[in-house]
Amino acid sequence: MGEIRVLLFGAAADRAGTREVHLETPEGTTLGEVWELLAGRHPSLSEMGETLAFAVNGEYAGMDEVLSPGDEIAVLPPVSGG
Amino acid sequence: MIEITEDPIDVGGVIDSVRRPDCGAVSVFLGTTRVDESGGACVEYLEYEAYRPMADRKLEEIAEEVKERWDVRAVSIVHRLGRVEPAEPSVAIAVCAPRRRNAFAASRYAIERIKEIVPIWKREVWSDGYVWVGSQTGTRPSPKE
Repeated sequence: MGEIRVLLFGAAADRAGTREVHLETPEGTTLGEVWELLAGRHPSLSEMGETLAFAVNGEYAGMDEVLSPGDEIAVLPPVSGG
Repeated sequence: MIEITEDPIDVGGVIDSVRRPDCGAVSVFLGTTRVDESGGACVEYLEYEAYRPMADRKLEEIAEEVKERWDVRAVSIVHRLGRVEPAEPSVAIAVCAPRRRNAFAASRYAIERIKEIVPIWKREVWSDGYVWVGSQTGTRPSPKE
């Protein structure tokens, strides 16, 4: 399909040891499948599991969201602004 | 005024940005950085990061929500990024309404929503490491059992 960018923030970036990952994914890949891939590569990120939220192109998205080439995925730990 | 900035927040400027002649109440909330101590260590400062431009957009959405829910005529929200020293404001919210009840309710709602949906994270930098607030991940030694 093409390349998608994954941005990681806060504790998720720490645990993965990187703030940005580029992935080649087949057509019809879902956000859930991208997460499986990331969690497989970075087991310590996987431990954050249920606490994480995700965004596609800057909007919160569910795991069944189907991705397109050029999409920007963000891995969002529990927010703690304020 | 909806803004994310690395500069110190001009609180007076945030208040002035919402004052209007048709309103009798300005409610201001300031979130300030708090230092903790434990086991001989202490927090030296806090550091904030954001996912932009999503964070900017979520702040705009909150301002719109506030205006829809209450009779509020103006809303300003300014959030700090980067290093923030103890007791400095990390967020300032000013809401202007004809009457105080709506102004109080709206400013309270705004800070609670920020803590729910705006992709901003803070870490406490301690004298012996750091902790991501909310995720409790970092380099500080684990507390003794």
